[in-house]
Amino acid sequence: METDKELESRIDEILVAEKENKLHRMTKRDYIIAAIITAISLLGIIGGFFL
Amino acid sequence: MSRKHDVNKEIENEVYCGTLPVLPKERKYGFMDALLVLSGYCIATWSYTQGSYLATLVGFKQLLIGAFLAAIFMLMVYQLPVIMSVRYGIDIWIWLRSVFGPKGNKIVTIIIILVNFPWYAVCCELFADSMENLLGLFGIQLFNGAHLVLSLSCVVVGTIIALRGVSTITWTTRILVPLLLLVGVAVVVVGFTSVPMDVIWNYQPQLAGDADKTVNYVLNIEANFAFVITLVGGMAEVPRLCKSEKSGYYAGVLGQGAAGSFFVVVGAVMAIAMQYVTGQMVDDPTLMMATLSAPILGLSSLLLVAFANIGTQAVGSYIYGVMLKSTFKKISYKTLVLVLGVYVALLCVWGKITEYFGSFLTIGACVYAPLAALLFVDFFLIRKQKIDLKSAYELPGHNAYRYSKGFNIVGIICLALGFGFTLVIYDPIQGIIHNKILFMLTPTLASFIFTGVLYLLLSKIPGIRRYIRRDTYASPDKRPFDRAKVPPRQNIFFLPLMWLLCKMAVSPYKLKIDKHNMEGIKPPFLVYGSHNSFMDFYVTPLALMPYRANYISELEGFENFGEWIYRQAGCLGTRKFINDQSLIRNIARVIKRGDIMVIYPEARYANVGTNSHLTPSIAKLAKMLKVPVVTLNMQGNYLQQPIWNLKERKGARLHADLKCVVTADEVSKLSVDEILGRISKELTYDEYKYQLDNKIVINDEWRAEGLHFPLYKCRKCGKDFAMTSSGSKLTCKYCGDSYEMDELGQLHSSSGEVIHIPDWYEWQRGFVHEEIREGRYKLDIPVRVEALPNSVNFVDCGIGRFIQDNDGFSLEFDNYRSEKHETLKFPAKSMVSLHTEYDYRGKFGPCVTLSTYDDTFFIYPTEESKDVFNPTKIQFATEYLGGLYS
Repeated sequence: METDKELESRIDEILVAEKENKLHRMTKRDYIIAAIITAISLLGIIGGFFL
Repeated sequence: MSRKHDVNKEIENEVYCGTLPVLPKERKYGFMDALLVLSGYCIATWSYTQGSYLATLVGFKQLLIGAFLAAIFMLMVYQLPVIMSVRYGIDIWIWLRSVFGPKGNKIVTIIIILVNFPWYAVCCELFADSMENLLGLFGIQLFNGAHLVLSLSCVVVGTIIALRGVSTITWTTRILVPLLLLVGVAVVVVGFTSVPMDVIWNYQPQLAGDADKTVNYVLNIEANFAFVITLVGGMAEVPRLCKSEKSGYYAGVLGQGAAGSFFVVVGAVMAIAMQYVTGQMVDDPTLMMATLSAPILGLSSLLLVAFANIGTQAVGSYIYGVMLKSTFKKISYKTLVLVLGVYVALLCVWGKITEYFGSFLTIGACVYAPLAALLFVDFFLIRKQKIDLKSAYELPGHNAYRYSKGFNIVGIICLALGFGFTLVIYDPIQGIIHNKILFMLTPTLASFIFTGVLYLLLSKIPGIRRYIRRDTYASPDKRPFDRAKVPPRQNIFFLPLMWLLCKMAVSPYKLKIDKHNMEGIKPPFLVYGSHNSFMDFYVTPLALMPYRANYISELEGFENFGEWIYRQAGCLGTRKFINDQSLIRNIARVIKRGDIMVIYPEARYANVGTNSHLTPSIAKLAKMLKVPVVTLNMQGNYLQQPIWNLKERKGARLHADLKCVVTADEVSKLSVDEILGRISKELTYDEYKYQLDNKIVINDEWRAEGLHFPLYKCRKCGKDFAMTSSGSKLTCKYCGDSYEMDELGQLHSSSGEVIHIPDWYEWQRGFVHEEIREGRYKLDIPVRVEALPNSVNFVDCGIGRFIQDNDGFSLEFDNYRSEKHETLKFPAKSMVSLHTEYDYRGKFGPCVTLSTYDDTFFIYPTEESKDVFNPTKIQFATEYLGGLYS
């Protein structure tokens, strides 16, 4: 029961933190970098067919 | 103090070794810590086995591409959802309850554990092998059964470390991982110095005569995809402790994609070197190192690698212990870690795990790819990175993820089909390729794509979307519907299917269509139709055959059936009873491109099968468009499915009159009143009179059930909201006055009076008008409000207040756009009527709607107001106040 209350209060705290942008989120720039790395990896894999 | 301390410790345990979300301030890991722990999880002696396996398939350069680029490519994609774990401090297995349902999740968890945990038995076996080799180097002979004792000791030590919790795991890996990386570097140096460098760099495997180099390269990529994707089950326990999403994500990618892959390459280098030196491709890392290394370096390396198995066993037990804890929350973390230890111990006692390892790995990869795809698509494309945490934790009153008795059938089917799809492409046990084209994508990637696309497409089907997205309130799509979007023409390829569907829908009711004055009338023209029930949408296309048409539809239909389907059917979306200029422009576009525009000018189903008053605007529109006006008066549609009881009545018979009432020549000559008069005349109807005149027998025993919604006022005692209905009877709950509905739709009182239903309905209207005129009319009640901003979802607007008086409407609600409790005013003169429902979609009960340009508000009574909330009375008042009956 104590854990249930703790759980609910934690969820509320996280939702508030999310609403107030207090979480360290991935930025658009981070996603773009991830996409570039993914694309380079894919090109490398395709290139491997020609070795 | 002691009790407080216990509770804090308990909570701490639940946070780090259990299910509680980790708060941002409690996060322990930066990028380096997470990277080290995850590297500890990924670096194991099985990496060497993987490396030597790859060396049998491809040359060294292709091997490097597979080990690094293929691993990183797959990791970059499937690890993305860990950002959710970091954001909320939860394990993915909490999230996966939304994908499989809580009970489905338990089954999937057990499957994952069964297919994945044998990896750790392999670790223990390798530890025992390493120790035997070590002791052998010192000339120590071991007793019979020593191998089992050694492997079990690895289980015991690993389990003890895992039981000590996250701090011990962290310190173990902080020490172990850097040392292991050093060993790896040393081994590469030894490997490259034991044989000429170009031997390794230019290495090509000796392939069998029928071996295909391309197939081998694909197998190399596949092996790396499968190798890294096996981490999916335990990928989030460590990132959830990270301080930022980027740290958690890249630690996951690099822990396996760089550190793990580096050891795969190390294994390959040693295997190649061993083959060069001894002529044999050996995959036992200890033997390789003992043979190739300098004695001292070899010994220390061997010792560290041997103990790496313990570290892996410990981290694995921790990760899978927490994963199990997320699913089986009532069982303690310690018990679960012990159960895992026992499972591994039993596999060690069995002793054949190495022999059957390939089968375990194969089956695992077949499950992991669809699992990762479901997680990815669910996270980014379906739930748009937002989960209802309270439902995921099954807190009381939060049941969005209960689905079908705890199982999300859609998610489970997708997982099963994704699993099957892998086997359709490739039989990994026999090594047989069934489909070479798909095989080129690799079975893991193909299954990943197939499952993801399948799940995404299924989620686009409105019924399935509503089933999956019961948590829309957590992350609703708030974008307003684009009313200005140019409507497409009715899809010509869709038309035959639509006509067939319409034919099937009307066939039980023997539809007869009569056309009048329609000779020479060709599109473009304007059609005004009567509006009785959903059957209207089946009858109208058949009446207009062979032409295609566009229809005006309330957004609610778009949400219910899906925007794509509605667009193909030629629908223009709008909201009811607003001045929608975009709609007028789109109507003009339809006419200009030579099509038929169908409008149901009453804008609402008939409550008791009689027409509503029409407004002059429809005649003005006809004059503006300068095209012929055709009316479509449909009879029987109301009788077949009246709005107050949506059960279909098989006895109904349908008839429709299509008539040109104003020609193109006449439209500019006639006045607005004259045009309105002609339209109104043709759209006057009385369904009960039609039933009686044509002796249409509707003998369903429940034929009067729901009739108390439009007939709410007792004729005898005069009380409002007094009537109830059951079977074929309508009864006053106050005075007991009772009426029997006969099979021809007439009501009979106990005194023998015969009542025509529309007469009773209109009789009530008079009382509402009187109340308004005398200033007595006022409705002020609590309501539950939902907004429909678009064709995707409803948005919960909480409990508000609904007031209707002589000034119009006032609606107080939680405005999700401004995130404030606000009041919206709808002046009485701004609306000539309003949309009403008696039992919305057959399950949500009575409601009325009010619209702005960007929202339609569905207003339901609360428990407190349900006895005084009657849509019919609200509608009567709205129509009078709006000027429709003045």
